Amino acid sequence: MGTPKLLEPQLTNPSPRPEKRSPGLSRRLARQGWAFALPALVMIAAITIFPILYSVIVSLNHITFTSQGYHFQWVGLHNYSVIFSNPLYRYSLIFTVIYTIVTVFVELVVGLLIALVLDKLIAGRGLMLAVLLLPWSLITVISAEMWNYIYNGVYGVLNALLIGIGILHTPVVWLGKPFIAIVSMMFADIWKTTPFVAIILLAGLQMIPHELYEAAEMDGASGSARFWRITFPLLRPTIALSVLFRVLQAFGIFDLPFVLTQGGPGHATESLALLGWQVMFQDLNMGRGAAIAASTTLIVLGASLLVLRAFRAQVGEEDLG
Amino acid sequence: MKMRRRARRTQMIATLWSIVIALFMLAPLYWLVTTSFKTPSEIGASPPTVVPNPVSLHNYARAFTYYHFQVYMRNSVIVSVGATILVLALGSMAGYSLGRLPVRGKHSILVALLMISVFPEIAVISPLFMLMRTLGWLNSYQALIIPYTAFNLPFAIWILRNYFLVIPREMEEVARIDGASALRTLVQIILPQATPGLFTAGVFTFTAAWTEFLMALTFNSSPEFRTIPVGIALFGAQFVIPYGTIFAASTAAVVPIGILVLVFRRSVVSGLTQGAVKG
Repeated sequence: MGTPKLLEPQLTNPSPRPEKRSPGLSRRLARQGWAFALPALVMIAAITIFPILYSVIVSLNHITFTSQGYHFQWVGLHNYSVIFSNPLYRYSLIFTVIYTIVTVFVELVVGLLIALVLDKLIAGRGLMLAVLLLPWSLITVISAEMWNYIYNGVYGVLNALLIGIGILHTPVVWLGKPFIAIVSMMFADIWKTTPFVAIILLAGLQMIPHELYEAAEMDGASGSARFWRITFPLLRPTIALSVLFRVLQAFGIFDLPFVLTQGGPGHATESLALLGWQVMFQDLNMGRGAAIAASTTLIVLGASLLVLRAFRAQVGEEDLG
Repeated sequence: MKMRRRARRTQMIATLWSIVIALFMLAPLYWLVTTSFKTPSEIGASPPTVVPNPVSLHNYARAFTYYHFQVYMRNSVIVSVGATILVLALGSMAGYSLGRLPVRGKHSILVALLMISVFPEIAVISPLFMLMRTLGWLNSYQALIIPYTAFNLPFAIWILRNYFLVIPREMEEVARIDGASALRTLVQIILPQATPGLFTAGVFTFTAAWTEFLMALTFNSSPEFRTIPVGIALFGAQFVIPYGTIFAASTAAVVPIGILVLVFRRSVVSGLTQGAVKG
């Protein structure tokens, strides 16, 4: 598998002069290079690569906590067969997939619209970027508490606002029924993460050369033709990357349901990460929780490869055309 | 003439839409901050009031004297600053090495770093918890500083490496001929020229550590070691959600990071967009 073009590191050295080094110096520098890189690489490996491999082993065992440590009992794929036949796991999987698709799609559309507005804006663009950065930098837990209060069925401001302007006649319990709770949670997520998408897409828009638009205008291309023929194709790499980031985040969503709905009502907003965490740390079933986590990771990896593949195929077409 | 009128109309429409967007983004935050200054009875009032009347500091007093929110703030500062310093130190060394020194296999290492940042946190939480428990590190600062460092290093290494790549080689060579060690070259020659990169990596690490919830909840749940997000999430453990206290604490937590992000706006935007538009 080659490196996705999107993520290809810049390996060319922009420094103009080719290097001339003696073999001895070269070797010394290589040694120093390793010495410099090792502390960081060891730390990353210890906290990410090693646990990922270890969690696969955990997922194949039944773990009991003892006073000194752990007792491992090999159960093979038992944990996986249990979770795959569990209705809650299946619901949670479907919920997380739909949640990811809907939120990422809406964020992409709204984020693109915001980016298009800001791209046209001359005065106050810096101010608008600052405004967009505020929800982005907000602690998700705080955002969840904030929306919980806004959605409150008795004294929440959303009901008051909607009744005030005549859209609603009676208050709605926004987090009380499954479907509405899911939509409410999606809305809270979209409010917080659309700015991220908008900022990235705005940067992408600003890379598109103005001459292209001027030429198209002279040819009499309409606004929508300019968007679909110039803006959208040239923005596609940026779109792919922001979608990739967001899919990864949305699929692992934990903080928002933990605080906003506690996975409820019932289990309506129980994401895979929340389910996995509850199985690990409330039921203290590490093996089964690790199985849920491992399946989540596999799906996330598959999805990100899909996003990259879809994007790459399109680049290929353009190269030929 | 016609062109100019059309440009002015475009500006007007863009400005109007920007105002709508800004209102949509700021209104919930306005609600968060103003609610923190309301009295308990006003918080539960229906219909709600738009402006707190009277302006009360009751919630702040309660957050800091009854709930000891300053302990959570201190923990968050220690953990975030600790992780940021470690990320900048280890990240600039690794970034320098992978950007500037003849290390074999650096292409694969850089790609591997990207792949690692793709894994969801939930994938590593159970083995890390078991490891921390074995080491006796649950409820300690290192239980968070080390994972936060590791999780933010890949991005920092990439950002810093990109900055190091464009620094002219001559400067290093002069330092080398003068007999300066690689570490001295890095600290005295390279780093001063990559300060925007250091700011970007630093602000991102700090923000990520300040907002992280899953590991903080899992590893450090005892009241003495809770960070801000965990403290706020667990305020409402009983049947009544103390919104006033939560929002007073939230406002106190949001203001410093908000200022940080606004001051370093450029670094943040460049960090967010670096990977996105360079491919």
